[in-house]
Amino acid sequence: MAAKMLQNLTEEFKALSKDMSSIVEARQKLDSQLHENESVQKEFASLADDAKIYKLIGPVLVKQDKSEAVMNVDKRLEFINSEISARIEKQISDIQGKQERKKMEIIQIQTQLQQDAQAHVGA
Amino acid sequence: MSSKDRSPQQQTVDLSTLSVDNLAAVKKQLDDELEHLTTSFAKLRQAQNKFKECIATVKTGLRPHKAILVPLTSSLYVPGTLSDTENVLVDVGTGYYVEKSAADAEEFYTGKVKALTENLGELEKIVAQKSQSVQVVENILRQKVMASGASSSS
Repeated sequence: MAAKMLQNLTEEFKALSKDMSSIVEARQKLDSQLHENESVQKEFASLADDAKIYKLIGPVLVKQDKSEAVMNVDKRLEFINSEISARIEKQISDIQGKQERKKMEIIQIQTQLQQDAQAHVGA
Repeated sequence: MSSKDRSPQQQTVDLSTLSVDNLAAVKKQLDDELEHLTTSFAKLRQAQNKFKECIATVKTGLRPHKAILVPLTSSLYVPGTLSDTENVLVDVGTGYYVEKSAADAEEFYTGKVKALTENLGELEKIVAQKSQSVQVVENILRQKVMASGASSSS
């Protein structure tokens, strides 16, 4: 009975680890997007107001006003930042908490199993 | 030498108390990290070379009335000539292109190359540190394995 439970718990723990790594991956992706957008923002800041800026839409380059492009990148940065701090960080700490609890359960059952085995040997 | 004295020593204290299995796990983790870092290093190098190529092209490729082939698709080209050799469109990232003068474009790419050189230097230090850590772990692991082999055979 306990052995079965232990198996279930380890499987659940493994599933949590998998969730964790996919979230960490998403975070890294957001991080790199953040960096790219930041470098674009920096580049825009150094441009003259009448600089010709084009946006790649599919295979076509479309001309865009500097103010519009700057606003666009600012909005993207805002979105990425909120996404990282509000959603991803919360998910990570969520899963960390769950992992911690599962670990405690697993240790509990393991010690119980050991005690049972010892009791058998003693009897 | 000071970094060598500091960082691995702290680890060595922990490591000598670990079992062979644990040491192997630590070594595997370090190996994975090292591999990740080396691939990142190679990618940065590649990016840097790409920018260097851009600089060379801006410097030498913009001759007036130069005959070129313009790709319409990946396998269909039409002949053309360069009419504007003063300005180029530079990809600044996230799908944005900015029209720059040739000199500005060169400056832009030089800045990119410089930033990448700095990153590469930092990364190189980290890689050296990591491979040192791997070596330390390897040594202790070998000692442990040899010690356990000697004690079981005697």
